[in-house]
Amino acid sequence: MNKVLNINLGGYPFTIDLDAYAMLEDYLQTIEHHFHNSEGCDEIIADIENRMAELFNEELGKRGIVGEKDVERAIAIMGTPEDFGAEPMEAGPKKSKKRKKKSSDFDGFKFGKRLFRDPEDTQVAGVCSGLAAYFGIEDPLWVRLGFVGFTLSGGVGIPLYIILWAITKEANSPSDRLSMKGEPINVSNIGKKVEEEMERFSEKVNEWGESEKWEEWKDKKKWKSSKEKIKKKFKKKMNQGFRAGEV
Amino acid sequence: MRKGVLELCILSIIAEKESYPSDIIKKLKESEMIVVEGTLYPLLTRLKNAGLLHYNWQESTTGPPRKYFNLTEEGDAFLQELMGTWNALMHAVNQSTKNLQTK
Repeated sequence: MNKVLNINLGGYPFTIDLDAYAMLEDYLQTIEHHFHNSEGCDEIIADIENRMAELFNEELGKRGIVGEKDVERAIAIMGTPEDFGAEPMEAGPKKSKKRKKKSSDFDGFKFGKRLFRDPEDTQVAGVCSGLAAYFGIEDPLWVRLGFVGFTLSGGVGIPLYIILWAITKEANSPSDRLSMKGEPINVSNIGKKVEEEMERFSEKVNEWGESEKWEEWKDKKKWKSSKEKIKKKFKKKMNQGFRAGEV
Repeated sequence: MRKGVLELCILSIIAEKESYPSDIIKKLKESEMIVVEGTLYPLLTRLKNAGLLHYNWQESTTGPPRKYFNLTEEGDAFLQELMGTWNALMHAVNQSTKNLQTK
């Protein structure tokens, strides 16, 4: 016994075994991945899907359900992904070079980026590190040097820095940090960022706890006084709340 | 190298008769030029994008409508050109290997 799925392949409905479906999906995805840089990718995939649908129709005859063997046979006729890879798909070396260049240009400037200030890597306010993240420069030092250069040569550097400071906001939330670096905002990426931030937070707490600041603070008894202040405020709020409740 | 020859074969098959990809495959398989269908589709798409081919949809009795490919005028001219180059190449190779073959 096996569960079946209903799918639409090349505009035709098929009932297909779960195993066979997984196999087919895997196959089509591999091919799509292989062709995603070639021009007319959608068309190629559509042609292949149409042809697979036709092959299934021929094979099935009066049977109702596409099984693993049918998929295997169709793949054998169409060719495995290795067959596709073995055949160079580009018209000539010129074209492929052009295309490769294009795609590498695009990598450095990912879609959906926004300019933020990076509060984790700052010298003044994080403008430079935010710019570095935006343009995909590994080390913000170069941006900083650029600003220093600007300032020394003409004096535009400082006003420019202040303007950028004013118009950008700090990347505080995990999703801000992702769009600062142009990484896609999805659940797993955000999860990753949150984990990183938790780690950083606990590191900071530890550092602070060990540092002398903490000792100084304790000595000055600021701790005590601020604690009392909070208590007082809390009492006040509670009282207010009760009164409001009575009325 | 093999690529250009494959294009030449596809174009001449289509020039002969308006063709559907699996017809082309059948002929190519007979001459052992190509083994799997999948490799043909990217080629056809590219030739079409280059303006050498065009296609029209025709209903089929067994499945979805099929794409039937035709040569455009440009494609025809390109085919003549390729044939010319091919013949010249054949001639050159034959000339160079003539001595070896007759030995």
